[in-house]
Amino acid sequence: MGGAFGDILARARAGDEAAFACIFRDMQPALLRYLRVIAPEAEDLAGETWLQVVAGLTGFRGDERAFRAWLFTIARHRAADAGRSRNRRPTVPLELSEAMEQPASADAADLALEAVSARAVVGLIKLLPREQAEVIMLRVVADLDFGDVARIVGKTPGAVRVAAHRGLRRLAELAERAGVTQ
Amino acid sequence: MSGPDAMHGEMPGFFPGRPGGERDEPLLDMIFDRRPLPPGAPPEMHDLARMLAAVAGPAELEELAGEATALAAFARLAPPVGISPAASRSARHRLSGRPGRARLPMAAALVTAAAGLGSIAAAYVGVLPGPIQQVAHVTVGAPLPPHGSSHRPAALANPHPSVIRDPGTAATRPDHSAAPTPVHGSTERHWPRHRMLVLGPAPAGASCIPWPSPSQSAVKPSPTPSAVKPSPTPAAVKPSPTPSPPVTGAPAGATQSPALPDCPYIPGSVPTQVAGLPGS
Repeated sequence: MGGAFGDILARARAGDEAAFACIFRDMQPALLRYLRVIAPEAEDLAGETWLQVVAGLTGFRGDERAFRAWLFTIARHRAADAGRSRNRRPTVPLELSEAMEQPASADAADLALEAVSARAVVGLIKLLPREQAEVIMLRVVADLDFGDVARIVGKTPGAVRVAAHRGLRRLAELAERAGVTQ
Repeated sequence: MSGPDAMHGEMPGFFPGRPGGERDEPLLDMIFDRRPLPPGAPPEMHDLARMLAAVAGPAELEELAGEATALAAFARLAPPVGISPAASRSARHRLSGRPGRARLPMAAALVTAAAGLGSIAAAYVGVLPGPIQQVAHVTVGAPLPPHGSSHRPAALANPHPSVIRDPGTAATRPDHSAAPTPVHGSTERHWPRHRMLVLGPAPAGASCIPWPSPSQSAVKPSPTPSAVKPSPTPAAVKPSPTPSPPVTGAPAGATQSPALPDCPYIPGSVPTQVAGLPGS
Protein backbone atom coordinates (compact mmCIF):
# COMPACT_ATOMS: atom_id res chain seq x y z
CA MET A 1 0.00 0.00 0.00
CA GLY A 2 2.98 2.24 0.48
CA GLY A 3 2.48 5.80 1.61
CA ALA A 4 -1.28 5.57 1.53
CA PHE A 5 -1.32 3.04 4.32
CA GLY A 6 -1.31 5.68 7.04
CA ASP A 7 -4.44 7.32 5.68
CA ILE A 8 -6.16 4.01 5.08
CA LEU A 9 -5.34 2.83 8.57
CA ALA A 10 -6.60 6.08 10.07
CA ARG A 11 -9.88 5.71 8.20
CA ALA A 12 -10.20 2.12 9.30
CA ARG A 13 -9.57 3.10 12.90
CA ALA A 14 -12.32 5.68 12.55
CA GLY A 15 -14.72 2.98 11.48
CA ASP A 16 -14.47 3.14 7.69
CA GLU A 17 -15.37 -0.33 6.51
CA ALA A 18 -14.02 0.22 3.00
CA ALA A 19 -10.64 1.16 4.40
CA PHE A 20 -10.56 -1.95 6.52
CA ALA A 21 -11.52 -4.06 3.50
CA CYS A 22 -8.59 -2.54 1.65
CA ILE A 23 -6.21 -3.62 4.41
CA PHE A 24 -7.79 -7.05 4.56
CA ARG A 25 -7.45 -7.68 0.82
CA ASP A 26 -3.87 -6.56 0.88
CA MET A 27 -2.73 -8.74 3.78
CA GLN A 28 -5.10 -11.68 3.95
CA PRO A 29 -3.41 -13.75 1.19
CA ALA A 30 -0.03 -13.51 2.87
CA LEU A 31 -1.56 -14.25 6.24
CA LEU A 32 -3.37 -17.29 4.94
CA ARG A 33 -0.29 -18.67 3.20
CA TYR A 34 1.78 -18.19 6.32
CA LEU A 35 -0.81 -19.95 8.44
CA ARG A 36 -1.09 -22.80 5.93
CA VAL A 37 2.59 -23.46 6.48
CA ILE A 38 2.55 -23.47 10.27
CA ALA A 39 -0.91 -24.82 11.14
CA PRO A 40 -3.49 -27.14 9.58
CA GLU A 41 -6.51 -24.99 10.45
CA ALA A 42 -5.33 -21.92 8.55
CA GLU A 43 -8.69 -20.44 7.58
CA ASP A 44 -10.06 -20.58 11.11
CA LEU A 45 -6.89 -19.09 12.53
CA ALA A 46 -6.97 -16.29 9.97
CA GLY A 47 -10.48 -15.43 11.02
CA GLU A 48 -9.49 -15.37 14.69
CA THR A 49 -6.50 -13.22 13.83
CA TRP A 50 -8.58 -10.62 12.05
CA LEU A 51 -11.06 -10.62 14.90
CA GLN A 52 -8.27 -9.73 17.28
CA VAL A 53 -6.97 -7.12 14.87
CA VAL A 54 -10.36 -5.46 14.72
CA ALA A 55 -10.61 -5.48 18.49
CA GLY A 56 -7.22 -3.84 18.88
CA LEU A 57 -7.27 -1.60 15.85
CA THR A 58 -8.02 1.62 17.69
CA GLY A 59 -5.08 1.09 19.98
CA PHE A 60 -2.56 0.32 17.26
CA ARG A 61 0.19 2.83 16.55
CA GLY A 62 2.71 2.40 13.78
CA ASP A 63 3.35 2.22 10.06
CA GLU A 64 2.59 -0.51 7.56
CA ARG A 65 5.61 -2.59 8.53
CA ALA A 66 4.65 -2.41 12.17
CA PHE A 67 1.12 -3.39 11.26
CA ARG A 68 2.35 -6.39 9.34
CA ALA A 69 4.54 -7.43 12.24
CA TRP A 70 1.59 -7.02 14.60
CA LEU A 71 -0.72 -9.00 12.34
CA PHE A 72 1.67 -11.92 11.95
CA THR A 73 2.53 -11.91 15.63
CA ILE A 74 -1.15 -12.31 16.44
CA ALA A 75 -1.44 -15.07 13.86
CA ARG A 76 1.56 -16.88 15.33
CA HIS A 77 0.07 -16.70 18.81
CA ARG A 78 -3.24 -18.03 17.56
CA ALA A 79 -1.45 -20.87 15.81
CA ALA A 80 0.46 -21.68 18.99
CA ASP A 81 -2.79 -21.74 20.95
CA ALA A 82 -4.33 -24.04 18.37
CA GLY A 83 -1.29 -26.30 18.56
CA ARG A 84 -1.58 -26.54 22.32
CA SER A 85 -5.28 -27.30 21.95
CA ARG A 86 -4.48 -30.06 19.47
CA ASN A 87 -1.94 -31.55 21.82
CA ARG A 88 -4.53 -31.78 24.57
CA ARG A 89 -6.82 -33.88 22.39
CA PRO A 90 -6.57 -37.67 22.35
CA THR A 91 -3.66 -38.83 20.23
CA VAL A 92 -4.32 -40.22 16.77
CA PRO A 93 -3.42 -43.88 16.20
CA LEU A 94 -0.18 -44.43 14.28
CA GLU A 95 -1.70 -46.06 11.23
CA LEU A 96 -4.25 -43.28 10.87
CA SER A 97 -1.53 -40.67 11.26
CA GLU A 98 0.53 -42.27 8.51
CA ALA A 99 -2.50 -42.44 6.28
CA MET A 100 -3.10 -38.74 6.81
CA GLU A 101 0.45 -37.86 5.91
CA GLN A 102 0.40 -39.90 2.73
CA PRO A 103 -1.62 -37.43 0.63
CA ALA A 104 0.82 -34.66 1.48
CA SER A 105 3.69 -36.65 0.07
CA ALA A 106 1.64 -37.49 -2.95
CA ASP A 107 0.84 -33.81 -3.44
CA ALA A 108 4.52 -32.98 -3.28
CA ALA A 109 5.27 -35.63 -5.85
CA ASP A 110 2.56 -34.36 -8.13
CA LEU A 111 3.85 -30.81 -8.02
CA ALA A 112 5.69 -31.43 -11.27
CA LEU A 113 2.36 -31.53 -13.03
CA GLU A 114 1.30 -28.18 -11.72
CA ALA A 115 2.38 -24.76 -12.66
CA VAL A 116 4.51 -22.82 -10.21
CA SER A 117 1.63 -21.47 -8.18
CA ALA A 118 1.56 -20.01 -4.73
CA ARG A 119 -0.26 -23.04 -3.40
CA ALA A 120 2.31 -25.40 -4.90
CA VAL A 121 5.19 -23.50 -3.38
CA VAL A 122 3.44 -23.38 -0.04
CA GLY A 123 3.11 -27.14 -0.29
CA LEU A 124 6.86 -27.42 -0.78
CA ILE A 125 7.72 -25.03 2.01
CA LYS A 126 5.55 -27.08 4.35
CA LEU A 127 7.99 -29.93 3.84
CA LEU A 128 10.79 -27.89 5.36
CA PRO A 129 11.60 -28.00 9.05
CA ARG A 130 9.12 -25.83 10.90
CA GLU A 131 11.61 -23.17 11.93
CA GLN A 132 13.02 -22.75 8.44
CA ALA A 133 9.61 -22.73 6.82
CA GLU A 134 8.32 -20.10 9.22
CA VAL A 135 11.18 -17.66 8.81
CA ILE A 136 11.01 -17.99 5.02
CA MET A 137 7.31 -17.21 5.04
CA LEU A 138 7.71 -14.27 7.39
CA ARG A 139 10.62 -12.91 5.39
CA VAL A 140 9.17 -13.42 1.92
CA VAL A 141 5.40 -13.51 2.24
CA ALA A 142 4.94 -11.13 5.15
CA ASP A 143 7.69 -8.92 3.72
CA LEU A 144 9.39 -8.40 7.08
CA ASP A 145 13.11 -7.90 7.51
CA PHE A 146 15.23 -10.29 9.53
CA GLY A 147 15.03 -8.04 12.58
CA ASP A 148 11.23 -8.11 12.66
CA VAL A 149 11.18 -11.83 12.01
CA ALA A 150 13.65 -12.37 14.84
CA ARG A 151 11.42 -10.44 17.23
CA ILE A 152 8.39 -12.46 16.21
CA VAL A 153 9.99 -15.88 16.56
CA GLY A 154 12.13 -14.95 19.56
CA LYS A 155 15.55 -15.52 18.03
CA THR A 156 18.47 -13.36 17.04
CA PRO A 157 18.51 -11.83 13.55
CA GLY A 158 21.65 -13.83 12.76
CA ALA A 159 20.02 -17.11 13.71
CA VAL A 160 16.98 -16.22 11.66
CA ARG A 161 19.11 -15.38 8.67
CA VAL A 162 21.02 -18.66 8.89
CA ALA A 163 17.76 -20.60 9.20
CA ALA A 164 16.33 -18.80 6.19
CA HIS A 165 19.37 -19.56 4.06
CA ARG A 166 19.33 -23.22 5.01
CA GLY A 167 15.65 -23.35 4.25
CA LEU A 168 16.13 -21.91 0.79
CA ARG A 169 18.86 -24.39 0.00
CA ARG A 170 16.65 -27.20 1.17
CA LEU A 171 13.75 -25.80 -0.82
CA ALA A 172 15.85 -25.78 -3.96
CA GLU A 173 16.64 -29.44 -3.45
CA LEU A 174 12.95 -30.27 -2.87
CA ALA A 175 11.89 -28.39 -5.94
CA GLU A 176 14.48 -30.06 -8.09
CA ARG A 177 13.42 -33.45 -6.76
CA ALA A 178 9.76 -32.71 -7.34
CA GLY A 179 10.41 -31.32 -10.77
CA VAL A 180 8.85 -27.98 -10.04
CA THR A 181 11.80 -26.08 -11.35
CA GLN A 182 12.35 -25.72 -15.07
CA MET B 1 39.23 -38.65 3.52
CA SER B 2 38.20 -36.57 6.46
CA GLY B 3 36.94 -33.04 6.42
CA PRO B 4 40.19 -31.21 7.10
CA ASP B 5 41.91 -33.09 4.30
CA ALA B 6 39.62 -31.64 1.68
CA MET B 7 39.91 -28.16 0.22
CA HIS B 8 36.91 -25.89 0.49
CA GLY B 9 36.85 -25.39 -3.21
CA GLU B 10 36.73 -29.10 -3.81
CA MET B 11 33.56 -29.65 -1.76
CA PRO B 12 31.54 -26.45 -1.87
CA GLY B 13 28.54 -26.43 0.40
CA PHE B 14 29.38 -29.73 2.02
CA PHE B 15 30.13 -28.28 5.43
CA PRO B 16 27.49 -25.75 6.38
CA GLY B 17 28.93 -22.78 8.18
CA ARG B 18 32.32 -23.07 6.57
CA PRO B 19 33.42 -20.51 3.99
CA GLY B 20 32.73 -22.83 1.10
CA GLY B 21 29.14 -23.35 2.20
CA GLU B 22 28.36 -19.65 2.36
CA ARG B 23 29.31 -18.70 -1.17
CA ASP B 24 25.66 -18.60 -2.20
CA GLU B 25 24.65 -16.35 0.63
CA PRO B 26 24.81 -13.11 -1.34
CA LEU B 27 22.56 -14.69 -3.95
CA LEU B 28 20.15 -15.91 -1.29
CA ASP B 29 20.05 -12.45 0.22
CA MET B 30 19.31 -11.03 -3.22
CA ILE B 31 16.42 -13.46 -3.54
CA PHE B 32 15.07 -12.45 -0.14
CA ASP B 33 15.40 -8.81 -1.06
CA ARG B 34 13.72 -9.44 -4.44
CA ARG B 35 16.63 -7.97 -6.30
CA PRO B 36 17.41 -9.24 -9.80
CA LEU B 37 20.01 -11.98 -9.85
CA PRO B 38 23.17 -11.59 -11.90
CA PRO B 39 23.16 -13.43 -15.23
CA GLY B 40 25.82 -15.85 -14.10
CA ALA B 41 23.84 -17.11 -11.09
CA PRO B 42 23.14 -20.85 -10.97
CA PRO B 43 19.81 -21.90 -12.47
CA GLU B 44 18.55 -23.25 -9.15
CA MET B 45 18.85 -19.74 -7.76
CA HIS B 46 16.67 -18.43 -10.56
CA ASP B 47 14.19 -21.21 -9.81
CA LEU B 48 14.18 -20.23 -6.15
CA ALA B 49 13.56 -16.62 -7.08
CA ARG B 50 10.59 -17.62 -9.25
CA MET B 51 9.14 -19.80 -6.49
CA LEU B 52 9.39 -17.08 -3.87
CA ALA B 53 7.91 -14.56 -6.26
CA ALA B 54 4.99 -16.93 -6.77
CA VAL B 55 4.40 -17.48 -3.07
CA ALA B 56 4.42 -13.71 -2.50
CA GLY B 57 2.27 -13.12 -5.56
CA PRO B 58 -1.20 -11.71 -5.95
CA ALA B 59 -4.15 -13.09 -4.10
CA GLU B 60 -6.14 -15.98 -5.43
CA LEU B 61 -9.89 -15.69 -5.26
CA GLU B 62 -10.42 -18.38 -2.66
CA GLU B 63 -7.98 -16.67 -0.31
CA LEU B 64 -10.38 -13.77 0.13
CA ALA B 65 -13.29 -15.97 1.09
CA GLY B 66 -13.14 -14.80 4.70
CA GLU B 67 -13.63 -11.16 3.82
CA ALA B 68 -17.33 -11.11 4.59
CA THR B 69 -16.74 -12.58 8.04
CA ALA B 70 -13.96 -10.13 8.80
CA LEU B 71 -16.02 -7.17 7.64
CA ALA B 72 -18.95 -8.32 9.74
CA ALA B 73 -16.68 -8.45 12.77
CA PHE B 74 -15.36 -5.04 11.88
CA ALA B 75 -18.85 -3.61 11.59
CA ARG B 76 -19.73 -5.10 14.95
CA LEU B 77 -16.64 -4.04 16.88
CA ALA B 78 -15.28 -0.97 15.17
CA PRO B 79 -16.41 2.52 16.18
CA PRO B 80 -18.98 4.24 13.99
CA VAL B 81 -17.63 6.42 11.21
CA GLY B 82 -16.83 9.90 12.39
CA ILE B 83 -15.98 9.01 15.94
CA SER B 84 -12.35 9.37 16.81
CA PRO B 85 -10.52 6.35 18.21
CA ALA B 86 -9.91 8.23 21.43
CA ALA B 87 -13.60 8.91 21.85
CA SER B 88 -14.35 5.31 21.07
CA ARG B 89 -11.88 4.14 23.71
CA SER B 90 -13.42 6.54 26.16
CA ALA B 91 -16.89 5.28 25.38
CA ARG B 92 -15.81 1.68 25.76
CA HIS B 93 -14.17 2.61 29.04
CA ARG B 94 -17.44 4.06 30.23
CA LEU B 95 -19.29 0.95 29.14
CA SER B 96 -16.79 -1.43 30.59
CA GLY B 97 -19.08 -2.24 33.52
CA ARG B 98 -16.85 -0.85 36.21
CA PRO B 99 -18.67 1.14 38.87
CA GLY B 100 -17.01 4.27 37.63
CA ARG B 101 -16.06 7.06 39.91
CA ALA B 102 -18.54 9.25 38.08
CA ARG B 103 -21.46 6.97 38.88
CA LEU B 104 -21.22 7.24 42.66
CA PRO B 105 -21.75 11.00 42.85
CA MET B 106 -24.65 10.67 40.46
CA ALA B 107 -26.24 7.97 42.60
CA ALA B 108 -25.68 10.04 45.72
CA ALA B 109 -27.25 13.07 44.06
CA LEU B 110 -30.26 11.02 43.04
CA VAL B 111 -30.72 9.66 46.55
CA THR B 112 -30.37 13.13 48.02
CA ALA B 113 -32.87 14.58 45.59
CA ALA B 114 -35.33 11.80 46.31
CA ALA B 115 -34.97 12.30 50.05
CA GLY B 116 -35.40 16.05 49.70
CA LEU B 117 -38.50 15.76 47.58
CA GLY B 118 -39.94 13.23 49.99
CA SER B 119 -39.30 15.52 52.92
CA ILE B 120 -40.95 18.43 51.16
CA ALA B 121 -43.95 16.31 50.30
CA ALA B 122 -44.20 15.13 53.88
CA ALA B 123 -43.98 18.72 55.07
CA TYR B 124 -46.86 19.79 52.86
CA VAL B 125 -48.90 16.86 54.07
CA GLY B 126 -48.09 17.91 57.62
CA VAL B 127 -46.90 14.60 58.96
CA LEU B 128 -43.51 15.79 60.11
CA PRO B 129 -42.72 16.24 63.80
CA GLY B 130 -43.63 19.62 65.13
CA PRO B 131 -40.28 21.39 65.15
CA ILE B 132 -39.38 20.09 61.74
CA GLN B 133 -42.79 21.05 60.45
CA GLN B 134 -42.26 24.54 61.82
CA VAL B 135 -38.94 24.80 60.05
CA ALA B 136 -40.54 23.53 56.86
CA HIS B 137 -43.27 26.13 57.30
CA VAL B 138 -40.75 28.92 57.44
CA THR B 139 -38.43 27.65 54.75
CA VAL B 140 -40.70 26.14 52.12
CA GLY B 141 -44.07 27.47 53.12
CA ALA B 142 -45.48 24.22 54.42
CA PRO B 143 -48.52 24.43 56.70
CA LEU B 144 -47.95 25.15 60.34
CA PRO B 145 -48.07 22.24 62.69
CA PRO B 146 -51.20 22.09 64.77
CA HIS B 147 -50.79 23.42 68.29
CA GLY B 148 -50.05 20.78 70.83
CA SER B 149 -49.48 18.19 68.22
CA SER B 150 -45.86 17.69 68.96
CA HIS B 151 -44.73 14.16 68.65
CA ARG B 152 -42.29 14.72 71.43
CA PRO B 153 -42.90 14.85 75.16
CA ALA B 154 -43.57 18.25 76.53
CA ALA B 155 -40.33 18.34 78.42
CA LEU B 156 -38.46 17.77 75.22
CA ALA B 157 -40.72 19.81 73.04
CA ASN B 158 -39.73 22.97 74.85
CA PRO B 159 -36.36 22.58 76.38
CA HIS B 160 -36.10 26.26 77.13
CA PRO B 161 -39.21 27.25 78.99
CA SER B 162 -37.53 30.29 80.43
CA VAL B 163 -36.76 31.64 77.02
CA ILE B 164 -39.79 31.13 74.85
CA ARG B 165 -43.07 31.95 76.22
CA ASP B 166 -46.41 33.22 75.33
CA PRO B 167 -46.55 36.57 76.96
CA GLY B 168 -50.30 36.58 77.09
CA THR B 169 -50.73 33.23 78.78
CA ALA B 170 -49.78 33.06 82.37
CA ALA B 171 -50.09 29.35 82.48
CA THR B 172 -47.32 29.01 79.98
CA ARG B 173 -45.02 31.31 81.69
CA PRO B 174 -41.85 29.63 82.73
CA ASP B 175 -41.06 28.75 86.20
CA HIS B 176 -38.14 31.01 86.77
CA SER B 177 -37.53 29.64 90.16
CA ALA B 178 -36.73 26.31 88.57
CA ALA B 179 -35.09 27.59 85.43
CA PRO B 180 -31.40 27.97 85.51
CA THR B 181 -30.03 31.40 85.48
CA PRO B 182 -29.11 32.34 81.98
CA VAL B 183 -25.41 32.69 81.87
CA HIS B 184 -23.41 33.97 79.02
CA GLY B 185 -21.98 30.98 77.22
CA SER B 186 -24.68 28.56 78.18
CA THR B 187 -26.88 26.73 75.73
CA GLU B 188 -29.62 29.20 76.32
CA ARG B 189 -27.31 31.85 75.17
CA HIS B 190 -26.75 30.09 71.88
CA TRP B 191 -29.92 28.41 70.76
CA PRO B 192 -31.69 31.53 69.59
CA ARG B 193 -28.78 32.14 67.28
CA HIS B 194 -29.39 28.76 65.70
CA ARG B 195 -33.01 29.55 65.30
CA MET B 196 -32.17 32.87 63.81
CA LEU B 197 -30.07 31.14 61.22
CA VAL B 198 -32.96 28.88 60.42
CA LEU B 199 -35.62 31.51 60.47
CA GLY B 200 -33.70 34.11 58.57
CA PRO B 201 -33.60 37.82 59.22
CA ALA B 202 -35.49 39.34 62.01
CA PRO B 203 -39.07 40.15 61.20
CA ALA B 204 -40.31 43.66 61.47
CA GLY B 205 -40.97 44.64 65.01
CA ALA B 206 -38.56 42.20 66.50
CA SER B 207 -36.45 43.65 69.19
CA CYS B 208 -32.79 43.31 68.84
CA ILE B 209 -30.16 44.39 71.23
CA PRO B 210 -26.47 44.42 70.72
CA TRP B 211 -24.70 41.51 72.25
CA PRO B 212 -21.66 42.58 74.15
CA SER B 213 -18.43 41.31 72.87
CA PRO B 214 -16.63 38.75 74.95
CA SER B 215 -13.93 41.25 75.69
CA GLN B 216 -16.33 43.36 77.62
CA SER B 217 -15.86 42.64 81.27
CA ALA B 218 -19.44 43.48 82.08
CA VAL B 219 -20.77 40.41 80.31
CA LYS B 220 -18.27 37.94 81.61
CA PRO B 221 -19.63 35.35 84.01
CA SER B 222 -19.57 36.63 87.47
CA PRO B 223 -20.56 35.33 90.89
CA THR B 224 -23.10 38.11 90.97
CA PRO B 225 -25.28 37.37 87.99
CA SER B 226 -27.59 40.27 88.45
CA ALA B 227 -24.84 42.70 87.66
CA VAL B 228 -23.62 41.11 84.48
CA LYS B 229 -26.50 39.37 82.73
CA PRO B 230 -29.92 40.28 81.55
CA SER B 231 -32.51 40.10 84.15
CA PRO B 232 -34.44 36.87 83.98
CA THR B 233 -37.57 38.44 85.19
CA PRO B 234 -40.40 38.31 82.74
CA ALA B 235 -40.91 42.03 82.85
CA ALA B 236 -37.42 42.64 81.70
CA VAL B 237 -37.43 40.23 78.82
CA LYS B 238 -41.03 40.38 77.73
CA PRO B 239 -41.32 41.98 74.34
CA SER B 240 -42.97 45.28 74.27
CA PRO B 241 -45.99 45.92 72.09
CA THR B 242 -44.05 48.71 70.52
CA PRO B 243 -40.71 48.13 68.96
CA SER B 244 -38.29 47.83 71.72
CA PRO B 245 -35.49 50.27 71.93
CA PRO B 246 -32.09 48.81 71.49
CA VAL B 247 -31.39 49.11 75.14
CA THR B 248 -34.33 46.91 76.17
CA GLY B 249 -33.00 44.06 78.18
CA ALA B 250 -29.50 45.44 78.08
CA PRO B 251 -27.34 44.19 80.85
CA ALA B 252 -27.32 46.45 83.74
CA GLY B 253 -24.18 48.39 83.93
CA ALA B 254 -23.06 47.28 80.52
CA THR B 255 -21.83 49.80 78.08
CA GLN B 256 -24.12 50.13 75.13
CA SER B 257 -22.36 49.04 72.02
CA PRO B 258 -23.41 49.38 68.42
CA ALA B 259 -25.47 46.58 66.98
CA LEU B 260 -23.48 43.73 65.52
CA PRO B 261 -24.01 42.93 61.92
CA ASP B 262 -25.44 39.50 62.69
CA CYS B 263 -27.52 40.83 65.53
CA PRO B 264 -28.65 37.67 67.26
CA TYR B 265 -31.99 37.25 68.80
CA ILE B 266 -31.52 37.17 72.48
CA PRO B 267 -33.78 35.44 74.92
CA GLY B 268 -36.88 37.43 75.39
CA SER B 269 -36.60 39.35 72.19
CA VAL B 270 -38.06 36.60 70.03
CA PRO B 271 -41.00 37.99 68.14
CA THR B 272 -44.41 36.74 68.94
CA GLN B 273 -44.96 34.87 65.74
CA VAL B 274 -41.90 32.83 66.55
CA ALA B 275 -43.19 32.24 70.00
CA GLY B 276 -45.77 29.91 68.53
CA LEU B 277 -43.24 27.17 68.32
CA PRO B 278 -44.35 23.82 69.61
CA GLY B 279 -44.43 23.69 73.32
CA SER B 280 -44.73 27.42 73.73
